[in-house]
Amino acid sequence: MILGRVVGQVWAARKDARLGGAKLLVVRPHGVYEPALATRHLVAVDDVDAGVGDDVIVALGRPARLAAGGHKGDDAFPVDAAILGVVDRVEIDAAASSSAGAAPGIKRPLPASISQVGA
Amino acid sequence: MVIGEVVGRLWASRQAATLTGRKLLLVRPLGARGPGARLVVALDALDAGPGDRVIVARGSRVRDVTVGETAPDKDVVTGIVDQMETPEVGPGRGAVWSGR
Repeated sequence: MILGRVVGQVWAARKDARLGGAKLLVVRPHGVYEPALATRHLVAVDDVDAGVGDDVIVALGRPARLAAGGHKGDDAFPVDAAILGVVDRVEIDAAASSSAGAAPGIKRPLPASISQVGA
Repeated sequence: MVIGEVVGRLWASRQAATLTGRKLLLVRPLGARGPGARLVVALDALDAGPGDRVIVARGSRVRDVTVGETAPDKDVVTGIVDQMETPEVGPGRGAVWSGR
């Protein structure tokens, strides 16, 4: 899962029939997310009534298909991202997120971008 | 999924048998510009064309349920965008961030 902020909504009349009336939101990921395509956004199905400006948890891949498919254990749903929750509060441990305080084997500190969000 | 703009179509005279009869679109993901930007070759499950903004979903399961299990690509166009809104948001939305 990744943490991101909803920045917009998108509508498509012509789409795969399985998508039905699914609400599609545009999300900008916070911090560590390395998409396969060089883009700073993703489109996620919203089942939890999130809105623009909300910070959200986004599931990717099969978990997203299961969540968006209506909890029927059915993943025959042509999506790869789904919003699972609207986040109320985030606490970041400054020591743990710095490279000095990072656990062994973790070399990369939290990127600066995550410190900028919500400011 | 990502939003992208269809920048062209692809044809290949010599190709794998599993590609036969499949429509291939060249899509530039939104925000992907400059020399490092990658275009994606996506299978068209609808009837998109150059100039359209489309939603591209990725994954083998996505491929299975849209264009069929034999298609040799995991990027599929699953929607054609009519409208997109990215409004300005004032302060006060989003989570409370602390501890940094």
